Amino acid sequence: MGNTVLDDEGVVAATMAAMPRVGSRRLCGLLVQRSPREVWEMLDADVRDTELVAKMADRLAETGIGVTYVGHESYPPALLGDGARPSVLFWRGDVKAVRYRRVGIVGTRSASAAGRYMASHLAFDLSMNGVATVSGLARGIDGWAHRGAMLAAQRSTSSAPPIAVVASGLDVIYPKEHAELWEWVATNGLLVSESPPGTMPEAYRFPLRNRILAALSEVLVVVESKAAGGSMITVEEAQKRDIAVMAVPGSPRTASAAGTNLLLQQGCAPVVSVDDVLVALGLDHRRAHPYIYDPRKTPTESDARVLAAIGSEALTLDQILVRVSGDMVATALALGRLEADGWLAQTAGWWEVLGRLPDERYG
Amino acid sequence: MAFASVTSASLLGVTGEPVTVEVHVGVGLPGFTIVGQPDETCREARDRVRAALLSSGLPWPNRRITINLAMPNAHRRGGSGLDLAIAVGLLVVQEVIPQEAVSQSAFIAELGLDGSLRPVVGLVPLVAAVDDRRVVVAGDGAREATLVAAGHVGALDTLAQVVSCLRGEVEWPTTTPPYDLTSALPAQKDLVDVHGQIAARHALEIAAAGFHHLLMVGPPGAGKSMLAQRLVSILPPLSREESITTTMVHSAAHEAIPSGGVVLSPPFRAPHHSASLTAMVGGGTSAMRPGEISLATNGVLFLDELGEFAPSVLDALRQPLEEGIVRLARARSSVTMPAKFLLVAATNPCPCGEGTPGLCICDDRARMRYARRFSGPLLDRFDLRVAVTRPEVGDLLDAHTGESSAVVARRVMRARSYAMTRAGLPNAMLSGELLEQHAPVTPAAAALLRTQLERGALSGRGYHRIRRVARTIADLVDQPDTVDECHVAAALALRVRIAPHQVA
Repeated sequence: MGNTVLDDEGVVAATMAAMPRVGSRRLCGLLVQRSPREVWEMLDADVRDTELVAKMADRLAETGIGVTYVGHESYPPALLGDGARPSVLFWRGDVKAVRYRRVGIVGTRSASAAGRYMASHLAFDLSMNGVATVSGLARGIDGWAHRGAMLAAQRSTSSAPPIAVVASGLDVIYPKEHAELWEWVATNGLLVSESPPGTMPEAYRFPLRNRILAALSEVLVVVESKAAGGSMITVEEAQKRDIAVMAVPGSPRTASAAGTNLLLQQGCAPVVSVDDVLVALGLDHRRAHPYIYDPRKTPTESDARVLAAIGSEALTLDQILVRVSGDMVATALALGRLEADGWLAQTAGWWEVLGRLPDERYG
Repeated sequence: MAFASVTSASLLGVTGEPVTVEVHVGVGLPGFTIVGQPDETCREARDRVRAALLSSGLPWPNRRITINLAMPNAHRRGGSGLDLAIAVGLLVVQEVIPQEAVSQSAFIAELGLDGSLRPVVGLVPLVAAVDDRRVVVAGDGAREATLVAAGHVGALDTLAQVVSCLRGEVEWPTTTPPYDLTSALPAQKDLVDVHGQIAARHALEIAAAGFHHLLMVGPPGAGKSMLAQRLVSILPPLSREESITTTMVHSAAHEAIPSGGVVLSPPFRAPHHSASLTAMVGGGTSAMRPGEISLATNGVLFLDELGEFAPSVLDALRQPLEEGIVRLARARSSVTMPAKFLLVAATNPCPCGEGTPGLCICDDRARMRYARRFSGPLLDRFDLRVAVTRPEVGDLLDAHTGESSAVVARRVMRARSYAMTRAGLPNAMLSGELLEQHAPVTPAAAALLRTQLERGALSGRGYHRIRRVARTIADLVDQPDTVDECHVAAALALRVRIAPHQVA
């Protein structure tokens, strides 16, 4: 059989995963012992349409999505021993991201400001400490966790990559407002999904996604969750797998913290700072000085120069122009941006830096 | 002959109105009465006219003389400019001059006791009121008179010469040729003297191009006055109409008019902060003298130490700032005078004058109190509000100077011409509708404006002002079509908040 279309085992596996008549569990069982090509040959002749394989090959090439399957060398080891492992995984980015230490951060989609802050802060600190953040790119806590990781990547080159597990196909961005975050994870970390390209985010896929998310985490931190919901499903999946679940305590009056407080009552370890998580991972949490979490938008290189020129003084536009020896219009634009992002305050024409400069450290 | 009628003119505000001087000489006790609501200077005319006639060897009727000043409306009329008309009227009655000789003439001059003719206050608007006939004025006022006179100007030095000309014994002297309005402008202070002050220079340029009112905030010695004085050097030159309007106002206020007889460059007025309401907006005398805001028409009104001006004086500026005219109403008369000026003001940032956070010794409360001296509506009318600091020593000693006024003025002219071809108005005067039409913003610029509005850093009124200034900034960088994000950002940076927490 000299059919070149079938030569790429990954594409064949992907095609079979996308076939409605091929069950995931059965495919999984088969792929453990046989190559995708051999499994393909076992299918009924009427479903073995090489057209489908060719189409899948095109689609994958077009969207830049990679494929791995049970038995393939790049299949994440963390999933290999799992009872409900996915037969085929679609991915974008760098599969080596799973070699980092991994902490899952999940929570409600309607988080309080405190919850959003905690998610972002925790992910920032973990990334700075070389621990990858695993999350689901959903609205609320999930998104904020990855925003924290993104901030860490902007502030340090040695931060850990982000890992995201999503329910839809990797070319179907959901939710839409996370398009930028989605793309950032795909280029700087690892974005995985069980669903073939083009799959819509149907409701039943999310609990399934949660099991992969749980399985990929070494420790699962619930930042804020209602008493029932997607995060609690992830918690159940983690507990089934004996993965440590930790929870951030919230006020009893905050509805969105009811689930996390319940978890704490049941005996989950509390998380009040990154140190608790690092200890749970068995990592050394002692440091010469802590990383400074500053959630303000990282200024661009030229804006940072303007900030540095102002330093710790109060200067007027005139004086700033002299220091940066720049064009008035461009400098004004930089000042406006920096003020909008909270880096500068202006009083009666004098500009002052608020808080620390972005590259400042305790020392 | 017992009656004669001669035309002259009387001044109200900055406009002249024709006055018919009726002279009656009849039987009765010798006496001299002026009726028709004459003012004080006009009542003194009796003595001047009598002395002038006698000094010139002309007869004085030793009978009952009644002068009536007939005019369509009811305000007080007068001024010493009626002297010559009264004298000529008396001579017509005595048949020294034939009535036909005066019927197509108007006479506007004060008489000296020796029979000489003197120019009067407001000659330009007075002549303009009677420009359909030959206007006889004093020789010294010839240049001003010819600026607006459509017909012949008879400029003579003595009453005797007037009589000779009217009797046809001597030819009327030829009138001075009209002035060349394009002649070289008088030397002005140049921007090249300003060291550093990059932002303030930009603000001046924008103010000049778009006619945007400017407030400079800075410590004493920062060069606020120096900068303001140089603004006139980059303003576009006055058009002929503007020149005449400004000259009229200056003439009506008896302000010095350049030797050419016409104000060619934009005026610069800088009244002291003790100025009264009347001095600022006009009025006061029965002739309603124009105030500083009218004298600054088509030029710059500079108010140094804005906070020291009486609040009533500052608030009186608001209506003229909006409309470009000032309407004064008094019991006897109401006048409208031009007041289309570019307002430039300077103030210290706080009571101690230092302003720089950290160096200033005033607490927030003191600063707030200081800022409250300026009413919000007035502050709001400054499109540009810039902080000015003392130049650093290095800048002062630096041999490298900024651009000269001539270079900046060229950019200003170009930007102004974009605005004029687009809407026929300087950008600062664009209405909301015209703004949408002529200053469309790019999506990025709209997003920046939206952010500022949402943050509460910009009020609804401020929003439109920022867009007008951004329009001018774009024009100055030769981009007359759309307004970009950076232009909006620059406009925002040039509109600083005066008090802590104040919305721009």
